[in-house]
Amino acid sequence: MSLSRREFLKSSAAASAAAAIGMSVPAELEAAANEAEGDWRWDKAACRFCGTGCGIMMATKGGKIVAVKGDPAAPVNRGLNCIKGYFNAKIMYGADRLTQPLLRVGADGKFDKKGKFAPISWQRAFDEMEINIKKALKHGGPESVGIFASGQYTIMEGYAAQKMMKAGFRSNAIDPNARHCMASAVVGFYQTFGVDEPSGCYDDIELTDTIVSWGSNMAEMHPILWSRVTDRKLSDPDRVKVISIQTYTHRTSDLADIEIIFSPNTDVALWNYIAREIVMRDEAEGIIDWDFVKKHMIFATGPVNIGYGMRREGEKSLKDGKYSAKEMEIISKEMKTIVSNKEGPALEPYGYKAGDTMNHQPGTLGHWEISFEDYKKSLEPYTLEYTAAIVKGDPDENMESFKEKLQALADLYIEKGRKVVSFWTMGMNQHTRGTWVNTLSYNVHFLLNKQAIPGSGAFSLTGQPSACGTAREVGTFCHRLPADMMVANPAHRKIAEHKWMVPEGTINPIGVQHIMKIHRDIEDGLIKFAWVNVCNPYQDSASATHWIKAAREMDNFIVTSDGYPGISAKVSDLILPSAMIYEKWGAYGNAERRTQHWRQQVIPVGDAMSDTWQWVELSKRFTVKDVWGEWAPSGPRKEKLPSVIEQAKAMGYNEETTMFEILFANDIAKSYKLDQNDPIQKGYDNSEGYGDSRNVVGSDGKVFKGYGFFIQKYLFEEYAAFTRGHGHDLAPFDMYHKVRGLKWPVVDGKETQWRFNVKYDPYAAKAAKGTDNSHAFYGTIAKALKFGDLKGMDKATEQKSLANKAKIFARPYMDPPEMPDAEYDIWLSTGRVLEHWHSGTMTMRVPELYRAVPEALCYMNPKDAEAKNLKQGGLCWVESRRGRVKARVETRGRNRPPRGLVFVPWFDEKVFINKVCLDATCPMSKQTDFKKCAVKVYKA
Amino acid sequence: MKTISKITIGLVAVAMLMVDCAAEVAKSPASKGASKTITEESLGLRKTDIYTEDSTIADKTEYGTAQATTSTKIKRAFQDAPPMIPHDTTGMLPIKTEDNRCISCHMPEVAGSMGATPIPVSHFTDFRPKGKIVDGKFELPTDVMKNEVAIKQEDKLQNARFNCSACHTPQSKGNLVVENTFEPVFTSKDGANKSSWAGSKMTEALDTVGDESFVTQEDVANKNSPAGTLGDSGH
Repeated sequence: MSLSRREFLKSSAAASAAAAIGMSVPAELEAAANEAEGDWRWDKAACRFCGTGCGIMMATKGGKIVAVKGDPAAPVNRGLNCIKGYFNAKIMYGADRLTQPLLRVGADGKFDKKGKFAPISWQRAFDEMEINIKKALKHGGPESVGIFASGQYTIMEGYAAQKMMKAGFRSNAIDPNARHCMASAVVGFYQTFGVDEPSGCYDDIELTDTIVSWGSNMAEMHPILWSRVTDRKLSDPDRVKVISIQTYTHRTSDLADIEIIFSPNTDVALWNYIAREIVMRDEAEGIIDWDFVKKHMIFATGPVNIGYGMRREGEKSLKDGKYSAKEMEIISKEMKTIVSNKEGPALEPYGYKAGDTMNHQPGTLGHWEISFEDYKKSLEPYTLEYTAAIVKGDPDENMESFKEKLQALADLYIEKGRKVVSFWTMGMNQHTRGTWVNTLSYNVHFLLNKQAIPGSGAFSLTGQPSACGTAREVGTFCHRLPADMMVANPAHRKIAEHKWMVPEGTINPIGVQHIMKIHRDIEDGLIKFAWVNVCNPYQDSASATHWIKAAREMDNFIVTSDGYPGISAKVSDLILPSAMIYEKWGAYGNAERRTQHWRQQVIPVGDAMSDTWQWVELSKRFTVKDVWGEWAPSGPRKEKLPSVIEQAKAMGYNEETTMFEILFANDIAKSYKLDQNDPIQKGYDNSEGYGDSRNVVGSDGKVFKGYGFFIQKYLFEEYAAFTRGHGHDLAPFDMYHKVRGLKWPVVDGKETQWRFNVKYDPYAAKAAKGTDNSHAFYGTIAKALKFGDLKGMDKATEQKSLANKAKIFARPYMDPPEMPDAEYDIWLSTGRVLEHWHSGTMTMRVPELYRAVPEALCYMNPKDAEAKNLKQGGLCWVESRRGRVKARVETRGRNRPPRGLVFVPWFDEKVFINKVCLDATCPMSKQTDFKKCAVKVYKA
Repeated sequence: MKTISKITIGLVAVAMLMVDCAAEVAKSPASKGASKTITEESLGLRKTDIYTEDSTIADKTEYGTAQATTSTKIKRAFQDAPPMIPHDTTGMLPIKTEDNRCISCHMPEVAGSMGATPIPVSHFTDFRPKGKIVDGKFELPTDVMKNEVAIKQEDKLQNARFNCSACHTPQSKGNLVVENTFEPVFTSKDGANKSSWAGSKMTEALDTVGDESFVTQEDVANKNSPAGTLGDSGH
């Protein structure tokens, strides 16, 4: 029996009903509603910030937001928010909101790259964009038009951008800031499961006995999930164990039973050590669930000499001498390294030993099946002795007690009947071997049959509010299409082209311009037009000085759409004022596959309009003949892109038909009616649908009176079509407005808690039909492999189907390309703080959040400070081979690094730490490693 | 009138950005010419150029040093917003499993005598429904399709709210970099000092689509959504 809120309020028997199920009812419950709130309008919404995806209740009065509270009906957070969540109330009200388009102009009023900003009309803004996009297309075809996209787009915005880029401009150079936060997790999912996104859900927290946080400061970065962990821990403190595995001590360790401080990058060794314990002790102790493993698993590996995702020799900017000799010391490792003593033992099973030269090839996703014996061989080096020696990250910690902690960690995973959840986010994703370490987490859980069951699983947490919902699921990546489809796959392109009502052959098959490549392509002069959407790439990218210079000093046109003028806006040629989150209809998808929608709460400020509107207006400026003709080979594309204009004509379009008519205002779109009798729309603004009381003068110089149809619902439903019927199923638009989000796949109106588990996931049940299998790993990507050993693939072998199986990977520990040495003697790690979101453009404008943490501090060990003659609160320089910034020294704050490591958050424009960071990436996922580079710290 | 006030705010914001010729601000943006321009440096939080770091210094953190018993309480930012910490927290943080110093003064039974803000009733309320295994399958007692809420009042501070610093933080003195135009509205006189989120208020207005807040079979069927299916070209 359950108790609904409706019953609570309306039934006079509420008290007895509550008593019957063991709840006590507060006495005040019977009190009349507070009359004073009569003119407030409460509505549900999703939090703007992290990937946890909390629900909020938001009050508006007189067209302004007046309050926010935790939503007791929201399953994620049940009535509680963190400080950022509550202050969603104030994020749109910073006094310097952008209210008009701003263009750099010269004295004659014409665009001038070296000019100052002047307010212009929307019409002029779109004129300038049109001119510069056409110029870029002429210069290098679709590959010359790039978009910095976002894991903070609403689903509709991301879908509109994706559609116009891939079907309109035929450019795949759209890649989100989510590349920086989730790409390694994604490739880990693809490699292991053949399909993206986690198997578990947040209910695992209440069900588990063990929470292991791997390189993740959940207490600050996912505070509400941490509140659930805290609740679980404190409710059964003896049984429930919390293990905090980190490179420095922080709030997550404050609750932990065991804290393990590891040296950056050695989490790879630590996972392999646990796997080794499982495999080597199995014969004696019967640890591995062989029935599960034999039915559901195969073993695999791939090449190890895959570089570090930096620039490679021969690239234009290297040839042009844009990188200093100091920078080249590290970049040269992209081509060649000498195997170190530290990584030597780990690499021996793969055919390398310490002192060998390793010639690196560009990163590849390729992999092949190996035998269990070979997998076992790959684990042999990770003895407790070797592992502890390379992993121990605190030089002042006793080795013997450290070893005991590693042993205890392995024993907790192994313990029969003990449920274990492993959480991670940026620590394992922002990693030059990020894909590897993600796959290693699943190995341990799979061998123990502790994956995809209630209370157990390796669970990749998300950083951004819609990294899953928009970036990954909509597929606003250079290589993706909606719902796990790929631009490289002809069948997938055809499905998208058909749905989008564009000619077959429209979509460009080459999608490799990921976010760092977009920066590099601008620096190399390939990309001439770039548009920043809902992100801040000129503050958030490592080696930042290069990208800023390329934007400011080269012949190109950079546009930033934002609510506030951040660093990206400042380096742009054109700044567009965007409507912020609650000024538009939207939806986000969180880390447990939960999709959540909200309605437009207030009208945007000034002339700000949503990113959806900006994309749709831009589409009016491009016709079939502008974009669908033939394009010569360009950049990464070695073949010409054929004209599809004749096919377009056969479909009833002509050369002058606009992309607006085809992609956004077609007859199907127009069938989604604006209707004030619809309970979902009733009483709510829709600035794109109706226009609004501001009478914004639009892209044609006339007052924008709205599209006249429910464009957000159309965009969502069309996107959702791709997800339905193949394991990604999203529920209907209206349903989301009636519930607090649902975890996909939503099948027959029901959400899915544990994917791949036949008890919970209808797709798994279907795939396992006729067997007694407990799971079906039904993902379809890379599910046929050749065979080989740790040293390579045997090309002569036949590809074998791995339907419904997942993979356990052999992956060795390897050094990152830059490590502390005599000159740059200390590790730098970067990240966030609880009170600020990303680059701080919103949270630094909320007085309470600004005052909570007004500056990014350089957190360091007091002994290091003393040795370097630095004082608490004094200024220091943090300098790498790439640049330096000033920050104040903090030796006794919330972050407490061991000797040899400093932590500097990146939210602060005045402590521009990404000038210092290295743009090395996981060479498979292309995700930047922001967690480690070498610096020196000295008095400023 | 509403429209006018909005435009005014927009113009004020722009005016704050102007450095070259503030007098021309109020003119229509559509007007030709570039008599009014805004420098890159004047935009945003960092007013120094972004190409060098020599002259850029972060805003110094200066938390209040007043002791807990003598500090002046900070007004809530809006109704039921988490109150900020007005006193020195040296030695009180970090909060650990066995060591939460906030509780020793802020529990309601002692807060009054300490002059501390008492922890409100919301912090003694458990909204998380407890699931259990039924027929080998995990089930929650609340139906997500009906937005059901579980409420349990307890005498003890809820474990989920043990990490006080997740919502409450000290405040640095000094000027803001950018003002904020949010205006709170309080429904009671002491709303800026006291939580009002208790009793029936906790569950008010949760049916956000009014009487039609419940998912129907018609919603599930999604019949009137021609874009919502791939038809026979599925993948």
